[in-house]
Amino acid sequence: MNLRTASETLSFIRELEEKAAAFYEELAKRFPENETDFLAFAKENRKFNKQIQMAYQSVITDAIEGCYAFNMEGDDYAFDTDLPEGASLAEAAAKALAIEEKILNCYNVGAEQSSSLLADVPRNFRIVVKKRNKRLEKLKSLT
Amino acid sequence: MAVLEEPIKGVPTAMNYIDGEWVESKGEVIDVVNPATCETIGKVGISTKEEIDSAVQAAQEAYYDWRRTPAVTRCRYLYRLRELLEENFEEVSRVQTQEHGKCIDESRGETRRGIENVEVACGIPTLMMGDSSEDIASGIDEYLIRQPLGPFGIIGPFNFPFMIPLWSAPYAVATGNTVIIKPSSEVPFSQTKITELAEEAGFPPGVWNMVHGGRTVVSGMLEHPDIQGITFVGSTPVMKDVIYPGCGNTGKRCIAQGGAANILVIMPDCNVDATIPGLMTSFFGNAGQRCLAGQTLVMVGEDDAFYNDFVEKVTDRAENMRIGYGLDESVQMGPVRDAKKKESILNYIESGLKEGATLRLDGRKAGEIVGGYPDTCYLGPTIMENVEREMRVVREEIFGPTMGIMRVKTLEDAIEVCNESPYHNGHAIFTSNGKYARQFQYDVISGNVGINIGIVAPMAFFPFSGMAGSFLGVLHTQGKEAVRFFTESKVCIHRWL
Repeated sequence: MNLRTASETLSFIRELEEKAAAFYEELAKRFPENETDFLAFAKENRKFNKQIQMAYQSVITDAIEGCYAFNMEGDDYAFDTDLPEGASLAEAAAKALAIEEKILNCYNVGAEQSSSLLADVPRNFRIVVKKRNKRLEKLKSLT
Repeated sequence: MAVLEEPIKGVPTAMNYIDGEWVESKGEVIDVVNPATCETIGKVGISTKEEIDSAVQAAQEAYYDWRRTPAVTRCRYLYRLRELLEENFEEVSRVQTQEHGKCIDESRGETRRGIENVEVACGIPTLMMGDSSEDIASGIDEYLIRQPLGPFGIIGPFNFPFMIPLWSAPYAVATGNTVIIKPSSEVPFSQTKITELAEEAGFPPGVWNMVHGGRTVVSGMLEHPDIQGITFVGSTPVMKDVIYPGCGNTGKRCIAQGGAANILVIMPDCNVDATIPGLMTSFFGNAGQRCLAGQTLVMVGEDDAFYNDFVEKVTDRAENMRIGYGLDESVQMGPVRDAKKKESILNYIESGLKEGATLRLDGRKAGEIVGGYPDTCYLGPTIMENVEREMRVVREEIFGPTMGIMRVKTLEDAIEVCNESPYHNGHAIFTSNGKYARQFQYDVISGNVGINIGIVAPMAFFPFSGMAGSFLGVLHTQGKEAVRFFTESKVCIHRWL
């Protein structure tokens, strides 16, 4: 799926974040000893969604090339959240890291493509990338 | 990508809002049609002279108390309106797309631009301040105060149903005047939604009125002695032949913004990759139905290789554009507003071809329409080469998704093309050379000038300028000029004996 407009790209990213949030909620159920961390990740994903949406609504104006801001292949960032029954915590964390890598890549490419057009949107993409670093460290420690 | 949910459901009738009451018009009722789907989404009454008179009377009666309401208090209504517009940001944006056809990104952009005007008007206690000078003569002081005038008429166009009345209305009421807004009857629901929110914000009855309709309402505003001024955005013939003389005859203040046929100049040193998205949105955004849309692309220089490469890239981008219903998030260009307007655009393309232009990209048929909607109002992007300065496709406003490409030898030639145009709204240059940019800015006749900007839309705190052919009046909408337009300056000279 080729993503071109700001609206469809941000909807796509919102879906990625929501899907990942649901995955973390599932992990929280399966691994109660790490419930706090996984629920915090899910909550943070939804916070990122709000943050990006606010940035977009603040910056999108009639003068900006919102319909031509991106040229991304959605399939490059798609992921599944299937985790076999009985998977270990290390396997779950590895799966989460793979998902995070896809999402981070999506934000990085999106930031690069829209950097001259949408001001606050790429800036917030980069902020989200930076904020995710702590999460990556935590996930790595579980593998 | 899914189609977003439509906010207008059933087939509602857009009502008038007069003196704080929602009233159905007694005039003829016409359909409001979504141009993307060809479905009737609502109805609107074409109001009568009695109805506009009743609105003016309400506005006149409300004016007495409203002008005596402190500016800081008047602003609080606007702050509430601003908050309500933010809360309803997505809904009002989708209403625009549903009734007009533009893409959802474009509608959200329009919403943001409209809200920005409310935000600027919230600063009216400062913006409306006067001047003073002590001891202009011995023991004598002089000062200037700004006072409101009374009811104002605000006449909106079809192409920006939400934003354009907000270039005027927030400033008018913030400065202590009252307003009667007449939206385009083709797209009445965006202003209806704003008016619902103005009611919720608590504006006293009669301060914010809205009357739907057509010529009768416009004439009623122009002829009514209590209307102090008119702001109008629409076509140049109506601006020149109806609005401006009508205001002159009755001594009203007037801001009249008309059409355009903007010229975008490409210098060989421009940043090509960064320029092309700007050209797409300028020529084809809003399906070309913008008074700031590009119409003619003037390529400077004799470097055939640069010309061919540039035009190839522009054509490639344009022909791959996704066309369809703007509530589908993947769509990059929606339909034009109705079949009659489509016909007019097609006639212009034909005239260009007859006069010697050649088709580089034929958008007379839309091609694939995402979602498979009927092609009644759809066009594809059209690119014509070999256009010349005397052709109708250069000199007249097309108001559709077309790009005419002309070649000239020098920047001076390009500026001459701009200055020969009957319209002077938003010409632009694309270059990496500061000297070229300055020369263009200095010499071009254009109310708004773009340098590496395809749509030269001024922010709310700047006036929406425009010059001959595109504008009649002195002051413009938006920002400080709007504040001056909606107030009378009164100079007082004091001596205490």
